[in-house]
Amino acid sequence: MTPSNSLNILLTLPKKEEPKVPVTPPEQWVDLYGDYLYGFAMSRLRNPDTAADCVQDTFLAGIKALDRFDGSRDIKFWLRGIMRNKIVDQIRKSIKENKVDIEAEDEALLESFWFKYSGIATTNPDPWEFNPRKSYDNGEFWIVFEKCIAQVKNPARQAFALRVLEDQTTEEVCKAMDITPNYLWVLLHRAREQLKVLLEANWTGKDAN
Amino acid sequence: MLTCKQVSNALSKDDYEKLPPMRRFFLRLHVKLCIFCGKFNRQVMESQDMCRCYKQQEEALAEHRPKMDPAQKDQLKELLDSQSKQD
Repeated sequence: MTPSNSLNILLTLPKKEEPKVPVTPPEQWVDLYGDYLYGFAMSRLRNPDTAADCVQDTFLAGIKALDRFDGSRDIKFWLRGIMRNKIVDQIRKSIKENKVDIEAEDEALLESFWFKYSGIATTNPDPWEFNPRKSYDNGEFWIVFEKCIAQVKNPARQAFALRVLEDQTTEEVCKAMDITPNYLWVLLHRAREQLKVLLEANWTGKDAN
Repeated sequence: MLTCKQVSNALSKDDYEKLPPMRRFFLRLHVKLCIFCGKFNRQVMESQDMCRCYKQQEEALAEHRPKMDPAQKDQLKELLDSQSKQD
């Protein structure tokens, strides 16, 4: 085979096309994705009214941006991507309404020897009452985990939702909450502490199932 | 070798799994051996592992999450109908 022949064969080969996902008409979005998006918003916002607002804003933004949908992934996940921004906006809004004040106990932690010199709260935290790793394969554990996140108190929960669940950078979260990076560290520490206590109360003893 | 402060700072900035391999290795080594920050930072790493795993499992949790109120759904449907007709 001559080089020109092989080039001809290559040129006539059909081009590999990106898989395109069909666009679901917006009239069907509520039935198909309403519950999914509402549940997702509830897992971050905890407030039914705010979550419903978020779903509505997402759908309206989706209709406006529909011509930019490239079909590279399911429209459900495309809408979820829009919703993530709406969730961050909602959390920011609620933080603006209730300004985050630093508590005396947290201030003492920031001034403590161990935090200043090693960036930790204590050298001897309480060990877990159960081994969480053993429960990772148990679907039930994650349902309990999600319920426990919802019970963490604000503003620690808001900081946790923005920083950990929505992957915002430290700078973005600090700007949104109008707090210092050190205080964000304290809030995330409080969220982890509360989550541990809640998980121990709700899951200990069930891990053997 | 990393100091306790460097380990704590790295863990507070990002998920340790996103660190470059060598830095992750030294971080793990420090946390394993350190008598000061080891216990505390090990729990921070465990918490990061748990949250990473939770995010991977999220799709499976969708059916257990609360559902939207049917009345709210109907209102939203009407709104979307009118909006999509306008556009």
